[in-house]
Amino acid sequence: MPDLIEIAKGLLESKEVSFIIGYTKDRFGRVKPYIAKSVEDANNLMFDHHSIHNLAVYLTRLKIPENGRVGIVAKSCDIKAIIALIQENQIKREQVYIIGMNCSGVVTHSTDEWKKENIQIKCKYCADKAPMLYDAVAGTAEPFEQPDDTQEVLMQKLETMSSAERWDFWAKEFEKCIKCYACRQVCPMCYCEQCLAEKNQPQWITTSPTPAGNFSWNIIKAFHMAGRCVGCHECERACPMGIPLTLLTRKMGMVAGKEFNYRHGMAIDQPTLVGSYNFNDNEDFIK
Amino acid sequence: MKEFIINTDEIANLISSLPADKWDILAPAKDGKSFDYVLSSDKPIINSEAPPSKISFKEYFFPKSETLFYYKREANEISLTEPKFAEKKLLVLAAKPCDAASLPILSKVFNWDYKDEFFNKRVNNSVIIGLSCAYSDESCFCTSVGLDRNNTKGSDIFLTPFNDKQYVLSVVSDKGDSFVKEFLPNLTEFTGTKETKEFIDNKPFDYKKTKDWIAANFENKIWAETGEVCIGCAQCAFVCPTCHCFDIVDENCDLNCGRRIKNWDACQFGVFTKHASGHNPRNSQEKRYRQRVSHKFDYYYEKFGEVLCTGCGRCTRGCPAGIDIGEIVFSISNQ
Repeated sequence: MPDLIEIAKGLLESKEVSFIIGYTKDRFGRVKPYIAKSVEDANNLMFDHHSIHNLAVYLTRLKIPENGRVGIVAKSCDIKAIIALIQENQIKREQVYIIGMNCSGVVTHSTDEWKKENIQIKCKYCADKAPMLYDAVAGTAEPFEQPDDTQEVLMQKLETMSSAERWDFWAKEFEKCIKCYACRQVCPMCYCEQCLAEKNQPQWITTSPTPAGNFSWNIIKAFHMAGRCVGCHECERACPMGIPLTLLTRKMGMVAGKEFNYRHGMAIDQPTLVGSYNFNDNEDFIK
Repeated sequence: MKEFIINTDEIANLISSLPADKWDILAPAKDGKSFDYVLSSDKPIINSEAPPSKISFKEYFFPKSETLFYYKREANEISLTEPKFAEKKLLVLAAKPCDAASLPILSKVFNWDYKDEFFNKRVNNSVIIGLSCAYSDESCFCTSVGLDRNNTKGSDIFLTPFNDKQYVLSVVSDKGDSFVKEFLPNLTEFTGTKETKEFIDNKPFDYKKTKDWIAANFENKIWAETGEVCIGCAQCAFVCPTCHCFDIVDENCDLNCGRRIKNWDACQFGVFTKHASGHNPRNSQEKRYRQRVSHKFDYYYEKFGEVLCTGCGRCTRGCPAGIDIGEIVFSISNQ
């Protein structure tokens, strides 16, 4: 199988892509996002279980030439985000050259060791799946011990709570929010040029990091992810305050799956859940 | 400097003997995997080796959201009410030197022109007990910005581990002296020599050189290279002990009442500099990231003679995009 660096060099040398969004290591060997623009830059690219960042976020943050093409190094969870962006008409398929990586699971934090307890829960449900949409594939997937789904336990606990108890649970979590918007900025599906939270005529969302403002932001952000979240868990990783944001998005993903048999980011030509209508859609859950 | 010996039992006694109606105690405690400053925790952790908390303690002096005043309209009269200010005192126990040092730095900004009465009241109502730090990781660089594990800047009292379960308590400020006299009157004076072990040895920044380079390199590829990776959140600014920008907004309760609030704000947000006309002088992440570094190592240094950074490394540790401010400033300083 061709090596990541070889593929990248070929693409940059032939000018098939104008740059490649990938990963590199910093002065202490910590993995971070990196934009390779030249054949020499391609030598700095790498991929391992610390390549936690979902680079699909850069497809809408960076300027991608209308008729050009950029390369992106992507795990299968990141590829779902790329597919979702294509489904939502944010990028065209031909604008991206996807270097799909065979992945061995990624850890939660950049300095974590690659062992069962540190591997992200999302990897449990994707572990042995190879990239699903790609232009080239690189890397070797090594077997790893599956993490325990501690989140599922917590979700079940939340299901059994009364609405007052659930309110208290989220009030306590949202109280921590400092409105740094890392959850929004790191999210590949949050690409609005002007976020609702930045609109003040009228003011839709209370901007203050107060209980009212924090509920208003976090709940509306979650609503906007209904049927759209691809489950990369980047919001939760980025949150400096440790708010379990993916409990909300995962629950909504489950509802989308159960009620509409829909999962976002699976096929580029599939109409989106909120962008399509079907007479057979289940309406039982509307009370 | 007056020095005493204090043991862990005496510290525990201090915590339990401070009248709860007059004092809040803020100390590190474990929250899941990470540490956090927790108010009146039943399990305060006094441990030199503990990593820095995920967020600095600045919110206890410069809250993330603070009401400046309430307004009310009755008939055609508008009345203003001041918020109630908690007069309770705050004891910060086991503050990291890189956190304690942020208070004098913030104080310069909050007293340079307008005197921020909210910030000043909180500082005056607090006593900071710093604790010598024995933690370091790749993100730490306090020794590069003129601090070190035993630095007492910003502390009123400072603890240095001595023998097992014992600390040398140094009285640093007058406020610390009064506190010791009032609440710890029976401590034994310390006359020996503290063992000071230096193990973090980052190269000090050349402040002047870094400042001059930044001033001369407003257009440089370093800003573009970082700016294109920066995703534009405020994690770095909000966990930072020295970042102090805020926004002022009005929140109405109905048509006739409301409050004016001061909320944390950050230069990495696109709307931070957006004018009402729609024009934005810092219209790219490259320009916004340059602002962050320039403010910390050029503008603040020029105005106040020190840098706006304590080297705590939180911004780097938590950056979702893996940006290391130390790496950037080192590369500038070493040029």
